[in-house]
Amino acid sequence: MKYDVVLIGGGLSSLVCGISLQRTGKRCLMVSGGQNALHFSSGAFGLLGFRPDGSAVERPLEELDKLPANHPYRKVGAAKMHEYVNRVKPFFASCGVMLDGDPERNSWRLTPTGTVRPSWLAMSDVTLYEDSVVSIGRKALIANIAGYLDFNTAFLAEGLEKAGVTCRLEAVALPEFERLRTSASEMRSVNIARVMDHDQVWKKFVEQVCVLLRDEDVVVLPEVFGLHDEHILEQIRESIPARVVFVGTMAPSVPGIRCQSALKTAFEQAGGEFLMGDEVISSEMDGERVLSVRTANLGDTVLEADHFVLATGGFFGRGLQATAEAVSEPVFGLDVDAPEERTQWYNPDFFAPQPYTRFGVHTSENLRAMKAGKEMENVYVIGSELGGADALCEGSGAGIAVMTGFKAAEMING
Amino acid sequence: MTNKNEFDVIIVGGGITGAGTARDCAMRGLKVLLIERHDIATGATGRNHGLLHSGARYAVTDRESATECIEENKILRKIARHCVDDTSGFFITLPEDDLAYQAKFVESCLAAGIQADIIDPKEAIRLEPSVNPTLIGAVRVPDGSVDPFRLCAANMLDAKLHGAKVLVYTEVESFIMEGDTVLGVRTVDQRTGEKAEYRAAVTVNAAGIWGHHIASLAGVNIGMFPAKGALLIFAHRVNSIVINRCRKPANADILVPGDTVCVIGTTSTRVPYEECDHMHVTPEEVDLLLTEGAKLAPVLENTRILRAYAGVRPLVSADNDPSGRNISRGIVCLDHEVRDGVKGFVSITGGKLMTYRLMAEQAADAVCKKLHVNQVCKTAVTPLPGSATGSVEEVSRKLWSVPVTVQKAAAGRSGDWAEKIAMDHPMDRSLVCECEEVSVGEAEMAIRDLDVHNLTDLRRRTRVGMGTCQAELCACRAAGLLAKAHGCADRARADLKDFMNERWKGMYPVAWGETLREGEFTQWIYKAVLGL
Repeated sequence: MKYDVVLIGGGLSSLVCGISLQRTGKRCLMVSGGQNALHFSSGAFGLLGFRPDGSAVERPLEELDKLPANHPYRKVGAAKMHEYVNRVKPFFASCGVMLDGDPERNSWRLTPTGTVRPSWLAMSDVTLYEDSVVSIGRKALIANIAGYLDFNTAFLAEGLEKAGVTCRLEAVALPEFERLRTSASEMRSVNIARVMDHDQVWKKFVEQVCVLLRDEDVVVLPEVFGLHDEHILEQIRESIPARVVFVGTMAPSVPGIRCQSALKTAFEQAGGEFLMGDEVISSEMDGERVLSVRTANLGDTVLEADHFVLATGGFFGRGLQATAEAVSEPVFGLDVDAPEERTQWYNPDFFAPQPYTRFGVHTSENLRAMKAGKEMENVYVIGSELGGADALCEGSGAGIAVMTGFKAAEMING
Repeated sequence: MTNKNEFDVIIVGGGITGAGTARDCAMRGLKVLLIERHDIATGATGRNHGLLHSGARYAVTDRESATECIEENKILRKIARHCVDDTSGFFITLPEDDLAYQAKFVESCLAAGIQADIIDPKEAIRLEPSVNPTLIGAVRVPDGSVDPFRLCAANMLDAKLHGAKVLVYTEVESFIMEGDTVLGVRTVDQRTGEKAEYRAAVTVNAAGIWGHHIASLAGVNIGMFPAKGALLIFAHRVNSIVINRCRKPANADILVPGDTVCVIGTTSTRVPYEECDHMHVTPEEVDLLLTEGAKLAPVLENTRILRAYAGVRPLVSADNDPSGRNISRGIVCLDHEVRDGVKGFVSITGGKLMTYRLMAEQAADAVCKKLHVNQVCKTAVTPLPGSATGSVEEVSRKLWSVPVTVQKAAAGRSGDWAEKIAMDHPMDRSLVCECEEVSVGEAEMAIRDLDVHNLTDLRRRTRVGMGTCQAELCACRAAGLLAKAHGCADRARADLKDFMNERWKGMYPVAWGETLREGEFTQWIYKAVLGL
């Protein structure tokens, strides 16, 4: 089978790159292992939230020249970064994902533990605030689903109380959740969202919330609504006579999954082929060119392409692999930027920056992978597979995925 | 004795020795106070193999310890059956070992009263498929595994049921002394900073390696030998039978299955006394444990490592042995009046987890002698709470109406005490920790009945966060329950941070492969999504 581009990995960067390529007439195949970082996202995207000293960034584009030379944004380039940030909202809207926020200026979001964090663009579940002091209202009713432990109302209430919001906690019990509850491990965000997707269930829940509502001007709900259809969120907002604010839950992330499936649909609607639950197990190379790959599920079928995009993520996505001796890239055996000594991989403080988050595939200035010191002609690396950034401390994971996804598509289109 | 701060005996140390001594003294009718500066089982009690020694390991080199072990082994199987897993154990001879040692080993076991049966290597492989298939000899002994957290908590609970008072997070700052007599202790509450004084005719130093410091507060030098032992926990229970090497005790030659995991250990290195509070496992120790562990069970090479940890053996030394391997694991019970001229003060140290009950008996005997109390020890024949009625199966049957997974986990951990776990309300059945199947009801019971002040305490009582995900999902849920129980979210949030750091401490020495993946995921969840 012959394609123009084979994309390895099915997360945010790969989908953005694949949709862009497919819409410009390239025939694409995407090989996805299954879950990816979107399934565990907060529902908000970060471009650059923090400086190395931990202070919050207000205008990410103004900080680009301060980033280290091997940072993915430096490889995308300042001019392209300015162009791309304004392309993000229309791009996602064309895939059915409405994003809020100012592309050139950070806002804040309320986290599930009652703190605030800088955010760039966010899905419609997430409410963005202009100020780091959350100003959601005067009095809040925090309404949970009875027996649901992944929405930490105590932390949330305490955080809001500190910001001057009086909180009242309530839990709504619905018979529709009895079955989930008797199987004790089923009370998780996605399972709840599946039940809530039924019109009669979320409507009943909203009715109960309205009964509980006294003089509060804000109702805080967990992000467990609209797994497949984000319009439910709007309907809920219209049905409750107070401002409705959704707050994230423990993973998996309902808005993240909704976004992933919308992007996947957009990719397929544009004509892209998507291999779900598969992985590349071997490749054929000629010098600095990859000729073809094979996957676990397709067996002997040879997947040829002019270009290959590697977007398999960091360690969690298995884009990088660590043994006690070394860090490596398992698909093509590409060069990896990582120290040999494993004591230099981690920091003993869990909450301190971790060196391993900066590890990644070594690429040239134009995102082409390096192998044995030589630049590969037709392999592009995007997303968290790239080294040089501590996406976690910077708050730049989604931004790197989207920016490098756009960039690689342009490189391939020439 | 009407003063609430006056007792017959004060016990310093909330490890298994202190808990056992408190139980023994309380069962003999004494008014007991136990003081622990952290939580129960934070020292060597919670940092060992969890091996129910048959004594075979010491049969050749340390007959006294071997005999003590097998006697206590038989007793614990009766009084603490809910803490014991009767796995049995192998001592295997590999091609590089001297098979002639086997005969001497078996002979020494039998002389110490330890059953030791030579079995055919093929039969050994059949019974324990994970064992190194190149073995040339195997001996079967009555080893098992024991949950030290559960055992310690059960002793503490029984002490309290017999009237003992337990103060955790309380540190002894100094002794109240009159001349050369210890009259009691001055303490500080670690959480509030509040100071207090408690008096008793006898004070028992059961602080393990930290007993060195406690003794020095009374002007006494015990001469402890801090011997660090590092261990690795694997994410699967790869073996169902304990595997030992049939040779003189050495590094990393015991693989113990425990609950859902297995543990390889140990190393033995003398460490400076000042470092006992800050044990870190080094890369060299990890490499050594892996290399030697794979010789017992080759599958370990490809098994995910959950975490690394280290404890400090409270050995008492006289000679100059650089590793401490040759020091007797025997019990040291010191009456400081006889030894040092300090009245009203007893130290109980040396020994092992395995012999804690005997240590407690000897300490309680010494206390009773000083108090002129004529009561015999009953701890060898009185079951602990959890093992009081019937078998684990019988307990499970009583809990027939709860989900079977929760039933097994709860009954396995708590024995008949599991009846106290609320299961009436559907909310109680929600799982906090999926890996270890800990329900809301069980966590709330622990918070209510078992002196739980923070997440790490809760982990020691219930295994929350000890499973394959290393607390990535459950910590936040459990923190929510604690915030509710203690009515303070600020404290619970700080506690959650401490707990994640404590979990990471065991992960970073082995941060590669699946452990690094899990670590990266957990960091994303807690830092980026939850915003901690």
